[in-house]
Amino acid sequence: MSMLSFEKKYRVRGGTLIGGDLFDFWVGPFYVGFFGVTTLFFTLLGVVFIFYGIATGPTWNVWQISIAPPDLSYGLGFAPIQEGGLWQLITICAIGAFVSWALRQAEISRKLGMNYHVPIAFGVAVFAYITLVVIRPVLMGAWGHGFPYGIMSHLDWVSNTGYQYLHFHYNPAHIIAASLFFATVLALGMHGGAILSATNPHKKGDTVKTPYHENSYFRDTIQYSIGSQGIHRLGLLLALNAGLWSAICIVISGPFWTRGWPEWYDWWLSLPIWA
Amino acid sequence: MTRRLILLVCASFVMVACERPPIETSQNGYRGTAMVDVSNPRDPMVAMEYPAALPAAPSSGPKAGEVYENVQVLGDLSVAEFTRVMTAITAWVSPEQGCNYCHNGAEFASDDMYTKVVSRRMIEMTQHINSEYESHVGGAGVNCYTCHRGKNVPEYIWFEQGDSANGNKYFMGWRNGQNRPGADVALTSLPSDVFVQYLTANDNNSARVASDTAHSPSPKEPGITAAEHSFAIMANWSQSLGVNCTYCHNSASFQSWEQSTPARTKAHHGLNMVRSLNSDYLIPLESAYPANRLGPEIGDAPKAYCLTCHQGQKKPLGGADAITAYPSLAKN
Amino acid sequence: MAYQNIFNRVQVHGAPEPGVPHPKGGIWGRGKARFSRLFGRVGDAQVGPGYLGTTGLLSLLFGIAAFEIIGFNMWASVGWDPVEFIRLLPWLALEPPAPEWGLRIPPLNEGGWFILAGLCLLISVLLWWVRMYRRATELGMGTHVAWAFASAIWLFLVLGLIRPIMMGSWSEAVPYGIFPHLDWTTAFSLRYGNLMYNPFHMLSITFLYGSVLLFAMHGATILASGNYGSHREIEQIVDRGTAAERGAIFWRWTMGFNATFESIHRWAWWFAVLTTLTGGIGILLTGTVVDNWYLWGLEHGLVPPYPEVFPGMADPAAAP
Repeated sequence: MSMLSFEKKYRVRGGTLIGGDLFDFWVGPFYVGFFGVTTLFFTLLGVVFIFYGIATGPTWNVWQISIAPPDLSYGLGFAPIQEGGLWQLITICAIGAFVSWALRQAEISRKLGMNYHVPIAFGVAVFAYITLVVIRPVLMGAWGHGFPYGIMSHLDWVSNTGYQYLHFHYNPAHIIAASLFFATVLALGMHGGAILSATNPHKKGDTVKTPYHENSYFRDTIQYSIGSQGIHRLGLLLALNAGLWSAICIVISGPFWTRGWPEWYDWWLSLPIWA
Repeated sequence: MTRRLILLVCASFVMVACERPPIETSQNGYRGTAMVDVSNPRDPMVAMEYPAALPAAPSSGPKAGEVYENVQVLGDLSVAEFTRVMTAITAWVSPEQGCNYCHNGAEFASDDMYTKVVSRRMIEMTQHINSEYESHVGGAGVNCYTCHRGKNVPEYIWFEQGDSANGNKYFMGWRNGQNRPGADVALTSLPSDVFVQYLTANDNNSARVASDTAHSPSPKEPGITAAEHSFAIMANWSQSLGVNCTYCHNSASFQSWEQSTPARTKAHHGLNMVRSLNSDYLIPLESAYPANRLGPEIGDAPKAYCLTCHQGQKKPLGGADAITAYPSLAKN
Repeated sequence: MAYQNIFNRVQVHGAPEPGVPHPKGGIWGRGKARFSRLFGRVGDAQVGPGYLGTTGLLSLLFGIAAFEIIGFNMWASVGWDPVEFIRLLPWLALEPPAPEWGLRIPPLNEGGWFILAGLCLLISVLLWWVRMYRRATELGMGTHVAWAFASAIWLFLVLGLIRPIMMGSWSEAVPYGIFPHLDWTTAFSLRYGNLMYNPFHMLSITFLYGSVLLFAMHGATILASGNYGSHREIEQIVDRGTAAERGAIFWRWTMGFNATFESIHRWAWWFAVLTTLTGGIGILLTGTVVDNWYLWGLEHGLVPPYPEVFPGMADPAAAP
């Protein structure tokens, strides 16, 4: 039913990280496992909190819904439920769910005899999230520095946080992160295009092309073809660094720099070598 | 080894360029909107204080205007109070040169020193600020020291940049008044010669570039260039007060007054004040100055902007009272 | 720890791979191949042989012309001082003409160079597109890479040509400079009332982040199943083996859904293409159709209702 034609031979017990045989089963296409249970627990709890927040809030308009963190006056303490406490609970649930999800990916990797690149990669994304809602708020001394959970409200937060440093585009780590984001998209477009163009030749009915064709294409046009193995390393490297530098660019804004970002470049302008 | 050393040196420059926590924050909007003011207590800001007010002088007795010749301002003060204010001004503006910085020692009534002519007008300007711009300086007021800080010429003044802001004149290298780490625009590459446009009285001085309506067709102007000019003057204000955009604006909609903080209203009055100071007081003094006091590029008079008084603080000198002890500087 | 397949521990090579046979020789043929140990750490160590061809040669020439015009204008703007050129480089730019010129061509040193550099860059980019297209067809491959490139060119065209023409002024174009183009970006958002409320900007960012997510997922999946030969993707597409099966099942077990070895590349291609496609639409609509995105958002129920913090705030300029 929900199994792929070749899936049955892969559905074997064992290889779990925790819980032994207890949760070692599937529901529909999903693998459960101990971390599937914890993921579900945190997710359900979080969703309940979110809906409680929406129901007691001013709007059901999906764009306008927002669950905001506490006032700065609560510092690093707990806030009353309707004063940001809900945000704190949801944050705990989100971290619980994300970490469970990463561990679940690790468990599935093990079961399938794969390495742990996927959970590690997801770990970088989780780290970026934790940087936004835990590390930076702690460094700045209040949970209120976290971003609100809402479609437009989180954009307002991004906007205001950017203008808190006058011109966020000058943030050196933001420059690196944005460049990495664009580079990842470029590489993804080239890789996706290369595979599709090899498997879907220009003339209908033509034989599918080979990695030699891909190599020739990129060597002919841009001197270098990184190869079918290398492109995945490059892609992963670029993508993870995009996430990592995003985390860096926000964590330095506030804790390690409070002025406008353009003023940061004063060190460059006043290097002794120019004299 | 060498490579590591170079890396280490570079890294230390980058690290030294940064600040360290803990920092200070204050909220000025609804929670979660990031309407927050951030500052670092280790930020090297010169902590200055007004010199202690001189002991009060009796207000009785003959008036200065009756006793001395050629007293065009403060003439209705008693001689004692007049002398007290003059002594204070000396400490504020020319502590080293003393009375002789403005007065001809042999003939105090003489107007032959340009500094006397200028300072007379500056006293009128101070009175104008304190009496007409309660909306901006209310509660603290200003006196000469607010800008001068013990110096003959206030440290932060501006001149027009003239043609040099346009880059190389011949064949190539035109830069349209921008593309330098402008010291007055927080080291951005934004246009740095924007003060005449916004801080003097003219017809093209609105920084409000965002449209009032959602839909086009929009007029061609203001375009991106105008928006960059507006951003530049705002960067200057932000730098002058040591604050960021969210001190006044909610960036969701910079134009919306409903979402702005009361500081924006205060800044609005400050803008009108600075325009008045430049147009009515400072620019007309151009002919009074000797050449060495005029702008290096086009020979214009020195002019004021936010930084002249604020000098990196939200309120000049921390908002200390400048005027209660010298009520004569607040008159019309 | 087992080999994690993120770099090559051993590099061996024989003669360089010549590539799919190429009919032409001489200057219209391929160059020489070299090897780079550094590149070999992550990917293929072989660099080249490259192919220039007519479009490639012309594209490079026009590209170099644009680069030089920009560079020399920057250098001239600091009075030809080489030290200042390096010190101030991030702040320098070749500026578009001032607004009063509209769509007319100004003298060289008042924006004319900008128009010329833009023209050279445009010709260069279009010729490069032709090259990408023709190289693909000559190798018998599909033209997917060229069309993905076309999507990026679309954004470039919108920013530098189409939108300025629709707005009636070259001054709307983006300056060629590092910090100056960042200033342009923020000024653009300030002028048009917060670009975050532009739905096509939202879509573009979604595809941008989505692309990064996809490449992380895809790259990690391939590397994690490298033991099974997952990087031989074409082979796995036409003749599915255990690598493709494990990759698919991993995501099926994780999130209940999986792509195939071919379809993941369709996801990838579309996400990358849509990033710049939607981005270009968002820019094109700004100022031409919508003049203030925040107010547009207000009209369409996007703006969250925040409690008033400072009651009674009103425009003092509007007060009587």
